[in-house]
Order: sequence, then structure tokens, then C-alpha cells
Amino acid sequence: MRLLRLKAEQLRQFRDPVEIGHLEPGINLFTGPNESGKSTLVRAIRAAFFERHKSSSVDDLQPWGDSAAAPIVELDFEWQGKPWKLVKSFLKKKRCDLSVDGEAYSGDEADDMLADLLGFELPKRGASRPEQWGIPGLLWIEQGAGQEIQVPVEYAGQHLKAALGGNLGEVTSSTGDELISQVAAERTKLLTATGKTTGDYAKAITEVDRLQEQFETLQDRVRQYREQVDRLGQLREEQDRAETDRLWETYRQQAKEAEVRLAEVMAWQKDQDRDQQALGECRTSIQTTLDLLNGFQNQQTDLSRRQEEKGKAEQEQADLEDRKPAHEKALAEAGLAHEAARKALKLAQQHQQREEWARELEGIEADLERDTVKLTRARKLHSALLENRQKQQSLGIDPEAVERLKDVTSELDRLAIQQDAVATRLQFDLTDDQSVTLDGEKLAGRSERLLIEPGEVAIKGVGTLRVLPGGEDVAEIARARQNLTDEQESLLSRLRVTSLAEAEGRLKRLQDLRQDIQRDDSVLKELAPEGLEALSDRLRLRQVRKDELAAQMQALPEQDDNSLSLSRAEAQLESAQHGLEAAEAAKQKLTGDLSLAEQALNRAKQEWERLNNELQAPDRKQREKQAEDQLIELRAKERSLNKRLSEREKQIEQAKPDVLEQDVERFNRSADAAEQQEDKRNRELIQIQTRLEAAGAEGLEEQVAELGSELEQAIRRKRELERRAKALDLLHTRLTEHRLELTRQLQAPLQRHLSHYLQLLFPEASLKVDENLIPEILVRQGHGGEERGKFEELSFGAREQMALISRLAYADLLLEADRPTLIILDDALVHSDAERLKAMKRVLYDAAQRHQILLFTCHPDNWRDLGVIARDMEGLKG
Amino acid sequence: MPRFLHTADWQIGRQYSNFAPEDALALAEARISVIERIADLAASERVDAVLVAGDVFDAQTVSDRTVRRLFNAMAGYTGPWVLVSGNHDAALAESVWTRARRLGAIPDNAHLALTAEVLEFAEAGFAVLPAPLTQRHTQTDLTRWFDQAETSNGLVRIGLAHGSVQGVLAEDVDSPNPIAADRVATAQLDYLALGDWHGTKRINARTWYSGTPEQDRFKGNDPGNVLLVDIPKGVAEPHVEIRSTGQHPWIQMTERLAVLSDLDQLIVKLERQPERAVVALRLEGEISLLGKQQLEGALSAAEARFRSLRYDLSDLSLLATEDDIAALHADGYVGKVISELRDEQDGDDGEVAREAMAILASMLLEKQALGGDA
Repeated sequence: MRLLRLKAEQLRQFRDPVEIGHLEPGINLFTGPNESGKSTLVRAIRAAFFERHKSSSVDDLQPWGDSAAAPIVELDFEWQGKPWKLVKSFLKKKRCDLSVDGEAYSGDEADDMLADLLGFELPKRGASRPEQWGIPGLLWIEQGAGQEIQVPVEYAGQHLKAALGGNLGEVTSSTGDELISQVAAERTKLLTATGKTTGDYAKAITEVDRLQEQFETLQDRVRQYREQVDRLGQLREEQDRAETDRLWETYRQQAKEAEVRLAEVMAWQKDQDRDQQALGECRTSIQTTLDLLNGFQNQQTDLSRRQEEKGKAEQEQADLEDRKPAHEKALAEAGLAHEAARKALKLAQQHQQREEWARELEGIEADLERDTVKLTRARKLHSALLENRQKQQSLGIDPEAVERLKDVTSELDRLAIQQDAVATRLQFDLTDDQSVTLDGEKLAGRSERLLIEPGEVAIKGVGTLRVLPGGEDVAEIARARQNLTDEQESLLSRLRVTSLAEAEGRLKRLQDLRQDIQRDDSVLKELAPEGLEALSDRLRLRQVRKDELAAQMQALPEQDDNSLSLSRAEAQLESAQHGLEAAEAAKQKLTGDLSLAEQALNRAKQEWERLNNELQAPDRKQREKQAEDQLIELRAKERSLNKRLSEREKQIEQAKPDVLEQDVERFNRSADAAEQQEDKRNRELIQIQTRLEAAGAEGLEEQVAELGSELEQAIRRKRELERRAKALDLLHTRLTEHRLELTRQLQAPLQRHLSHYLQLLFPEASLKVDENLIPEILVRQGHGGEERGKFEELSFGAREQMALISRLAYADLLLEADRPTLIILDDALVHSDAERLKAMKRVLYDAAQRHQILLFTCHPDNWRDLGVIARDMEGLKG
Repeated sequence: MPRFLHTADWQIGRQYSNFAPEDALALAEARISVIERIADLAASERVDAVLVAGDVFDAQTVSDRTVRRLFNAMAGYTGPWVLVSGNHDAALAESVWTRARRLGAIPDNAHLALTAEVLEFAEAGFAVLPAPLTQRHTQTDLTRWFDQAETSNGLVRIGLAHGSVQGVLAEDVDSPNPIAADRVATAQLDYLALGDWHGTKRINARTWYSGTPEQDRFKGNDPGNVLLVDIPKGVAEPHVEIRSTGQHPWIQMTERLAVLSDLDQLIVKLERQPERAVVALRLEGEISLLGKQQLEGALSAAEARFRSLRYDLSDLSLLATEDDIAALHADGYVGKVISELRDEQDGDDGEVAREAMAILASMLLEKQALGGDA
């Protein structure tokens, strides 16, 4: 299809007719700034095709504010070698005229022919909508929508698929997709997406498991039932046998027999025990008798021993009695010696005392003499001190005041000299001494006066001369002198002296007096450190002691040449003491020994007497004889008993009583066991019988059979469902696989066209489309190998480029299917960089070899190298 | 001249696990109802006794209800019923018999011969020598005591036993519960009524297996009968008449399908089978997808007609012919899938492939039917 001429009038911007003729079969480039009418032109083409001429919803076609306008579009184009001419006017003048190769169509028929030709749908009423645009919607790209591809492809899907289908013939299945969804739906009833069982299938499996379990349980019970039936048979048989044999009775009889025999043996045992006891008693009697006889024998020996002991005791006592006088004598002597020594010691002690006192007296006398001298001296010193202190107190002069007085006096002297030097000298030599007075003082003779302050010299008859001493110093000195004189007088008065010399003399005396006091005081302290009273008291106490001592000494004897020393006397007394103590101890021991000896003697005598009496008793011989007879008798009895015992022992041993006891126990137990077993069997019999009756009533085997049927049924169902599930799964897989394969096959031509354009942009790249032929994945050869990018994740620019390439490929496809292709690009590829734009221009130029392309742009510079002359919109309108 | 009905192997309480529940129920029910017919027959033929040669019950622990129902079913004949125990209902310490006694279900005219003792029916002129099983299985010949057993003078001697006659039933050579083949001779029996073999079988002129009165398995050895036996006076051989009692014949068929007309023949053959039959059908060979649809229709019709129809199509290959594919409009890749599955049905997962193909075909047909309506 090729547009040849286009004319628009009363259409939006184009109030005046605009006509574009001589359109090229390839690219036609329209340039112009914004609002220069490019979009109006596109709108005109769209209106011509898409809008029903009768539509009243195309107000936007009218020029602004001109509601009376009748927009009109004229199109000349060529299709399959035939010229088509379309004139379509809207709104105020609704009309459509189409002539195809000379044949004229008009109205709706014309509208429909166009729709059919280009592959779109017309709205039944109202304005055309994008979902009706079909192929033109895909190939006519509006401003800013170049990157949108999915929706337009969907709207054109039918036409595209038809174009592909036409190529591939009738390979595709008309019912395939429906089948797949049906199979999938059926499969979903039995299997989940991951292949797990679900729905009836899952239920059937559960059911089989449940029945299987029940079945096994029941079978188990049947088996148990059978076992118990067998057991019951066995028990019955055993019971019959037991009832016939009645073993327990035999055992009881045997037990009884053993018991009788055992009782017999037990009686023997009792006899044996009795004899054993008799034997023991017999043996005890023998021993007693033997002891008695021995006793008789021993008594004789004893008596002679006692006799001997008695003699020895007597001798011992006599010996001790002999030693007694000597001991007594020694004791008396020691007593005397001790008394003498005691007296000598007392005397020595008195001598010693007296000597000590004499020495003390001597000392006290010397002290008395010395202290008396000291006291006398001290008393003298004390009164001297008292006197001097009184003197000192009356002198009472202050050394500092004296010193000050000295300074003041010398300063006065210095000032007097100074005053003398500076004072106004009033020398006079008067004749009459009556007439002249100085300040009232009569002046006479020849003298001089020193004036230190103004003075008035009154001369009788003459008047008064006022003398004013000059200079400041005079007055000052006079003032200082006055001050000092005042002080001097005050000091003198305070010191109660008349002159400095007197003051100094008194100060000298005071100092001397102080030295004396100091000296006397220290001497006194030496003599009586604790004071005079203490000294005097001490003296008095010594005197008293002296008198006492003298009296005491008088009471003691005087020493002579024979007097013993104290230590000697003490040693003698100690030795005498020892002698006495030894003598006393010896005496005491002797007395003790003697009394012991007497006791021993007494005892020995008694023993001897008792034994002697016994031996001399009259029945003694008879008793001895009696004992001997008894012994013989007992011995005989012992022998007889021993014999009997040993014989019976053998008898008992042969009878084996322990075995007999065991027999009794064994037979009794056997009987018990047999009876218990019988009881137990009977109980078990009843139990089993009861149980079997109950189980039998349940009809176990019938139940098993019924359940078996049910299980069989369930298994069959499960198998059927399993087979169906598998079959559906298989079908689904196969159908899907084949469909995919077919899709790939179907898409092959489109892929070829896509690849053709894509190579101009990215060598070795490929653009995959999904089953709806919408670009899906761009595969490029990058540095790191293959790079895959989803279409919707590509950049805006890349998306626009891919979308345009896809559209061109669709156009190729449509062309091959003999469909008209017209490509309109309104401001395309504005987001492409220079490099890509260059490549895209090659793509476009290549496409333009097969398709007519109308390209509108406001960037004419971008498209200069497209190999065509651009048409300026402004030029068109002009 | 005593006259008996000889029957055995009633197998009351038997369940049919391989059948659909309603069929199984009907088949179990048929085992009771055949007893009613036997009772009626005994009454109408005025027999002196009904001899039941073991396996009256299928199991020891059938339900109380089943026990009662059996004895109730015997009510139609008031003469003596003589029953011995078989291996299924052996007279164990606790057995279905002891239970039936406890239940008080046994009528007075039913004589349970559970011990090896002679039962004399002097008035009717015969004595029964029973050989009941008291264990599930035994390796000794329980009929041996017949040889020494004494019966009153002039009474006809009838043996009643359950087991395998040695050397006659080839399949049962080593089977338990043996019975000597010449017992009739050694024990001077007039007739030996046997049970255990489910088909009617003559061993010799005086020794017979009556077989089960109602067939219970696919074994075409002439089951479903009772024997009406007349014992003549003197040394003459007894007169044995076979009377059919079965309600449901069990039929097993194996057919091969190769061409389309085979299917038509099969349908005719099925239609010829008796209505209350229990049929097991096995098909081999191959069938087209469309033929399969037709077959399914025929089988569905047959299922409704028979007591039970079970069929095994596992050895029947599905052929997807060009016609099939065209007829099913299985164009494009769907057609490819079909041929792929067709090729796979002989492989390891052939069953699944066949099923998948069948599902696909049915879906396509359904769609077509819808399309046709539209």
C-alpha cells in the first residue's frame, strides 16, 4: 500500500486546505516545530480510516471555536496495483466516498471496505477506540508511545497470528488450547501442581489405607479366633484326661503315707532327746561326786600347810616386839636435841635484832645533828629574805621610766644648746633697773636674755618695745623643749625623784637588792627543799624514833662471846628437826608392822583351828565311802545310756526323716498343683468359650470377607484413578510440549525478520517473543558471554528501539501475508543516543525498501542523513 | 427303597470380593435362595432325607443372621436333613455348629452328624455313616471306620463324607482329607455321598460328588446341581438323576479383535449369553479409537443385562487410525500427541499411554458432539 496524496480542510489547525502530494514509496520526512500541524496531519489520516463518517463523537476534528465546520480528508493511495481514492467529511457534512479502480463506494460500505483492507474494526457508534485499531494501531505510532508494544500487539494479535498461520498452513491444532485447559482441569482434580495426589485420588488412597488397616486388624482377629478354637480343643482334651486320671488324689494318698511314717520317726526322735538329757544329767552327777572325793583328799594337805603358816606368824610377831625399846629410846633423845636447838636459835635471833637497832640509832643521831644546823641556818636566811623583799617593794622604781628619763634629759640638753644658738638675744646694759621690764620682769644690769617668743620690753616712760624672735625654728624648738620638759617632770614625779641622778642611784640599789634575794633564795631551797615546816617536822619525828629505839634495846640481852650466829643456830635446829622426824617415823612403822603381824597370826590360828576341827569330825569316813559307791553306780548308768542312744541314732538315720518331710511336701504340692492346674484350665476353658461365643456372634470371617470386598473395590478405584491421573499428567505434558514446539515453529518467520533488523543494532543479538508475539527477552553477546534482559526491564530508549524493530518485523510479516502496511512515526526515537539513532536510521532505511513510512519530527537535524528531502510543515500550510 | 437328595458345598456366607457391591450382594443372596429351592425340590420329590456332604458354611464365623437365615431356608422340607461338617465348617471345639446350637437355630429335623457315629433311620430303612471333619485338615481317611461300622439288618448303608477321592481327581492328589476310592466296596455301602468338589462328578456307580447347587467360581466343571438318588432293593445300582438348581451361570470368555467385524461378532455373542449370567470377558488384539467408543457402548449395554460383567481390556491395543484422527478432528499437534501415545502403548507405561489416548479421544468426541449441536 502506498499513500500518494493527502488533503485536509477545516480540520483543527488546517482551516484552509492543506495538500501533500507526491508521497514517496519509502520514507517521507515531515519536519516542523511544535504545534506546526504534524499531529493534525496524523489525526487526519487516522480520522480518514478509523472514524465512521457518521460519527458525531469527532468534535476534536473541528478547528477551534468553529462548530459550523465540516472537517474533510481526501486520500489517494495505491493497493495491489489499483488506485484508491477516499473522500471523507465529518460532522456538518457527513459523507464518505471511495473509488477503487474506478468503482465507487460510499457511506458505511466504504467505511467497512477500508477497515477490512487495513485490518481494524470500526466502532458501532461513537469514536474509535484503541482496541479496535488492529494493525494500524500497531504500525501507526503516536507521539510518546513508541516504547509501548504489548497492548498494541494484543489488539493486532488476530491479524498477526493469521499472517503467521497463513504461512504455516494447517499444522496448528484448532482445538489444542481448549484441550490443554480441559486436560489441566481434569488433572487438577486428581493431582496438585507439584504432582501430589488430591481430590478423589487422595481420598481413594486414604480409603485403601484405612480399609487395609481394618482388614488386617480383622484378619488378625480371625487368626486369634482360630488359635483360640484350637486352644479350646486342646484344653478340652486335657480336661478329659485330667478327669480320668485324677492325679491329685494319688498325690494326696502318697502324702498321707509319708506323713504316718514321719510321725513314727518323730516319736523316736523324742525318745532320743529324752535319753540325751538323762545322759547329760548322769554325767553332771559323776563330775560332782568326783569333785567331792577330791575335796576330801585336799583337806589333809591343807592342814599341815596352815600349821606351818601359823608358826611363821608367831615368830614374826615376837621379832617385832623385841625391836620396840630401842626405837623408843632413840625417839626421846631426838626430842631433847630438838628442844636445845630451838632455844639456841631464839637467842641468836634476839642478838641479831639488838645489833640492828643499835645501827639505826647511830644513824638517827647523826641526822638529828645535821638537820638542827640546817634548820638554824635556814631560819636566818628566811628572815633576811623577808627583809630584802620588803626593801625591794619600797624601792619600787621602773627601769624603763629611768631609761626614758635619761633620754628626755639628754634631748633637753641638746635642745637647750640649739635654742641658745637660734634664740633672739636681748643683751642689755641698763643703768636704771627700775624702768625696764621684760614681760613684766624687771630688767636690770648688764645681762642678756634669750627670747624665744615675742616679748614686750616696757620701758617706763618710753613705752613698750615688742621683740619678735625671728625664724620658725625658735618657736618649734621652744615647743619641743616645752613638751620634753613636761614629760621630764611627769617622769620625775612618777619615779618620785628629783633628778636623774637620784633615779639612777635608786635603780642601782634595787639591782643589788635583787641579786641578794636571788642568792638567799637558792641557798634556802638547798637547805629546806620542802620548806621550813617540813624540815622541822622531820627533826621532831627522828627524835621520837631515837627515844623508842633506846627503850627497845634496853629490853634485849646483850651479846657475849659464846653466842651463836643466827645461821648456825638455824642449821642446828634443822638437823635436830630431821633427827626427830626420822625417829618418829621409825617408831610408827614398827607399831604398824606389829599390828599387821598380830592380825596375820590370828588369821592363821583360826584357819588352822577350823580345818583341824573339820578333819576331826566323826561322820567324815562314812561320807567318803558313800561318795565312792555313788560314783560306781553313775558310771554304769552312763554306759547303758550311751549304748541306747547310738542304736536309736542309727535307726533314725536309716528312716531319713528329712526326705520323708520332703516327700510329704512334694506330694502335697503336686496335688495342689494338679488341682490348681485343673482349676486354671477350667477357668481358661470358660474364658475362651465365652470369648469365642462373643467373637463368633460378630461373624468375624463374614466381616473379613465383606471388608475384603470393600478393600478390593477401593483398590480397584485407586488403581483406576491412579491410571487416570498418570494418563492426564502424561497428556498434559505432551500437549504442552507439542504446543510449545509448534509455537516456536510458528514464530520462526517473525524471528527471522526480527533478527534481520536486530543485527543492524546489536550483532549476534536475538529478541525472543512470547506466544502472543510480544517481545519478551533480549539476548545479547556481552563481554561476559550471553546477557539476557526482559523487555520491560530495558531502558526507555532501548525499549523504544526494540518496539520499533518489532513493529517493522510485524510489518514484514504482514507484507508477506499480502496485507497492506503503512508505517507512521510521530516523533519517534527521541530517547535514542546518537550511536543508536544512527543504527536505527539504517534500520528504517532498510524497512523503507519494503514499506512506506511517514516520519514526523521536530528535530530535523537528527534526520538529515535519512536520504530524503524533508518537508517543512510551515511550507505545506503556506 | 429309600430316596435322597444329595447336595454339598453350600458355602453359606461366601462373599464375592471381586464384584461390584450390588452384584456381590446378589450372588451371596443366591446361595441362600438355592437352599429354598432344594427344600422345595425335596418336598416335591418326597425324598426320605436330604444329605448334605459338608462345607455348609463358608466360614466358622459367619454372622448369627446368616446362620439363622440358612436354617430358615431349609423350612420348606420337613423331612430329615443330615449334615456333616467339611473343611470350611469343621466341627472344632468351637465352631459354627456349636454356635448354631447355642442360638437355637437348628430345627429338629436337621441332624448334625458331627461325630463318627452311625445314624439310623429305621422307619425309612437306611443308616447314615458320617465322616465329619473335626479339624480343618486331616491327612487320614476319615471314612475308614465305615469298614467296621455295623448297622441294623436290612438298612441301606449310606456314607456321607467330605474330601478328595484319592487317585481320581488328578488336581487333588496331595490334597488333604483323603478318601479311599474303593470305600464303597470295603465298607459295603449302598451309596457314598461326597462333597468338596464343586462340580457334579460321578466317581463310580455308588460314589458321587453332587457339586455345589449354586455356582461360585469360573470353573466350567458342571456345577449348579443337586443329585436325586434312588437306592433300589437288592444289589442293583442306585439311580442318580442330576437336577439343575443354579441361578447364575458363571461364564468366562476370551475374544480376539482384529477387524471391525470382530466387534460386531462379539456383540452378538454377548447378547446370546443368558441374562442372569456372571460374565468375565477378556479382550485381546487391537481396536480403533472409534471402535473403542462403540465397544464401550456395547459393554455398557451388556453390563445392564447380566448379573455381572467384568472385562479386562489390558491386552487390547488402541489403534489411532488416520480415519480416527480425522474423525476426531485431532489436527495439528493434538494429532501428533495421539500418534505418539499410540506408539507408546506397547511400552513399559503402555497402560497409561492407552488411558491417555482414550481420555483424549473421549474429550475430542465430546467436543465434537457439542460442536455438532451448535
